[in-house]
Amino acid sequence: MIDLSNIHVTFGKGTPLQKEALKGVNLTIEEGSFVTVIGSNGAGKSTLLGVLAGDVMASEGKVMIGKTDVTRKSTSARAGLVARVFQDPLTGSCGSLSIEENLALAARRGERRGLRSALGPRRRELFRDRISELNLGLENRMKDRMDLLSGGQRQAVSLVMSTLSGSEVLLLDEHTAALDPGMAEFIMKLTQRFVSERKLTTLMVTHSMRQALDFGHRTIMLHGGEIILDVSGDSRKDLQVEDLIAMFRKMRGETLDDDALLIG
Amino acid sequence: MLSQIAFWGAVELGLVFAFVAIGVFLAFRVLDFPDLTVDGSFPLGAAVAAVLITVGINPWLAAAAAMVAGAGAGMVTAFLNVRFRILNLLASILTMIALFSVNLRVMGKPNVALINADTMLSPFFGLGLREVYVRPLFVGVLVVIAVIAVWRFLESDAGLAMRATGANPRMSRAQGIDTGWQVYLGLALSNAMVALGGALFAQTNGFADVTSGVGTIVVGLAAVIIGETLFGARGILLALIGCVVGSILYRIAIQVALSTDALGLKASDLNLVTAVLVAVALVLPRLRRGASS
Repeated sequence: MIDLSNIHVTFGKGTPLQKEALKGVNLTIEEGSFVTVIGSNGAGKSTLLGVLAGDVMASEGKVMIGKTDVTRKSTSARAGLVARVFQDPLTGSCGSLSIEENLALAARRGERRGLRSALGPRRRELFRDRISELNLGLENRMKDRMDLLSGGQRQAVSLVMSTLSGSEVLLLDEHTAALDPGMAEFIMKLTQRFVSERKLTTLMVTHSMRQALDFGHRTIMLHGGEIILDVSGDSRKDLQVEDLIAMFRKMRGETLDDDALLIG
Repeated sequence: MLSQIAFWGAVELGLVFAFVAIGVFLAFRVLDFPDLTVDGSFPLGAAVAAVLITVGINPWLAAAAAMVAGAGAGMVTAFLNVRFRILNLLASILTMIALFSVNLRVMGKPNVALINADTMLSPFFGLGLREVYVRPLFVGVLVVIAVIAVWRFLESDAGLAMRATGANPRMSRAQGIDTGWQVYLGLALSNAMVALGGALFAQTNGFADVTSGVGTIVVGLAAVIIGETLFGARGILLALIGCVVGSILYRIAIQVALSTDALGLKASDLNLVTAVLVAVALVLPRLRRGASS
């Protein structure tokens, strides 16, 4: 479960460039719920994700993940609760380590890392099994360096990494944006499967309205650091991409000059 | 060419500096932290070991104390970098400069002689093998132990966290790795290795000198680069073996260069020869890549 109450984030406080990225955001996501987040550039999507991941500290408000107050916890200190897949495939894994070493890193997320060999026979077998589920043939390349893989393959491995250790929350940061359409579709299907199989509480930021409506149980739209739309259930089922844009216009009472970005 | 004694002397020195190479490998390659602290922690290790041995402390304990001192020096650099965000290179230069004074304090004078003192090697001299062989053999055994220990560490969960920190800090934090702590740990380990090299240097050469640290970093880097040129990037164990082989080859190359009369080089040309060797080792892989493409 995620519970954000009255989250304010201000960058460059007291300078001429002061920017309020989030203005009192309240958001509760029930356990096992899959929420998609949309919004134009600068709407506060990345900041919202950063507040949950620990990269951005809220200047005001409280962040709860499960039963833990993580408001002041650093990224590494809360990593046991939060799994994350980045937009850039190069960020989510270590290029100079092998596939199985990357998986070994992820398997100990949020746990003590001792002096036991990172890749014992039992773990190797587990990793092989998990990677073979991808049907990408990567199970025969477990000792290959990560940077020999394509962006899509790396993102697929990142998804497996994010589900290796039991965490409360999965954060997806436009994780298909850097991929070609075919690969993006494959990764989304995989995401869908992992999320429903493991009943993960998921927050997915996306640039694509299509994706935002096709996946998950609930869609929220951010604008100017506030949640301006929050739909779920039947009202969401009937929603079309065009409706979203119209609704967006109505609620803000202003014209959008970046429709192209929103439709993406 | 080289006489037997000169050859085994070079091997011995290469093995002593293999510890430096392993330390430099940990900082530069594993953590991606250009750490010049080693120019200070090498003579620190020599100084601590020599002073403790002269007051009658067991030489093994003295070497252990040298490692602790080296680890402390690495921690200081890590502290400056992690806590105060001082640029890594600059943080290590500050520690290095400070250590020059510290080393003089530790010894109380610019050098300490260990001529008649019992060292780690003393018990092995009376066993019938000639001294020229005993020394490299003894240091070699220690190097093998160090290589295996560091290799097993880097392939453990804890070591993997350190390698990830150097390769991708953002991802490491997202995986729950406290990257600041890894810098402390890595630099402590690295400088402990270098200080152990210093302690062995003092014991095999019979003295500790405050100026013996100058250029340690270049020598260590030379060994790492020669090793990489020979073995390529094929796993941790080979990289560590590369450090050792690189260190030995470097010393033999230096010895050959200095003892070949035709070249007309003097001992004082050592630093120039080293710099040229490192430059060549750096350029060679690039030339090879250029030729193949």
